Amino acid sequence: MKNKIENIRKEQGILQDEMAKALGVSRQTISSLENGRYNPSIMLAYKIAKYFGMTIEDIFVFEEEEI
Amino acid sequence: MKNDRRMIAYIIYIIFGAVLMVLGMLEVVDSFWSGMGGALIAMGAVRVIQFLRYKKDESYREKWDVETQDERNHFIRNKAWAWAGYLFVLIAAICAIVFKLLGQDLLSITAGFAVSILVLLYWVCYLVLKKKY
Repeated sequence: MKNKIENIRKEQGILQDEMAKALGVSRQTISSLENGRYNPSIMLAYKIAKYFGMTIEDIFVFEEEEI
Repeated sequence: MKNDRRMIAYIIYIIFGAVLMVLGMLEVVDSFWSGMGGALIAMGAVRVIQFLRYKKDESYREKWDVETQDERNHFIRNKAWAWAGYLFVLIAAICAIVFKLLGQDLLSITAGFAVSILVLLYWVCYLVLKKKY
């Protein structure tokens, strides 16, 4: 699962620390999400989408071969 | 760490540990139990200190809450337990074979028994979780 978290976060001028605090996760979690090392739960994906004021589909890109 | 009942449990650990240590000093129980008492006191004391810091220090409380509630940390912890379980079974199975080859039957049986117990526990947990989810 690819995502555009880093780009969107930078576009909105948000620091990883700020985002982590707002979502109640660690900064390392944000870093891992951005690097694609960790895929979030549906709950966290929803929180991220809500935080950016977007939909989940705007942020996360599902790749067919992952099934 | 929101439940004050945990604090009571930690204090009980310390009291129980102290009782075991005193009984050890009086030679009522052997060094195994007094050692366990020492471990209980240490564990209880660390937890009480953590709990008091959690109550008083806001930045520590925030850090603690993130550490304990962060879903990636949960994922990592669960993964670590799973790996530890796999490795334990593998190492114990190898030990059972090696001990048997060395003629250490009791050790071999113990290692084999440990593997069996863990595999049995795995299946029990699997069936319980399967029903739950």
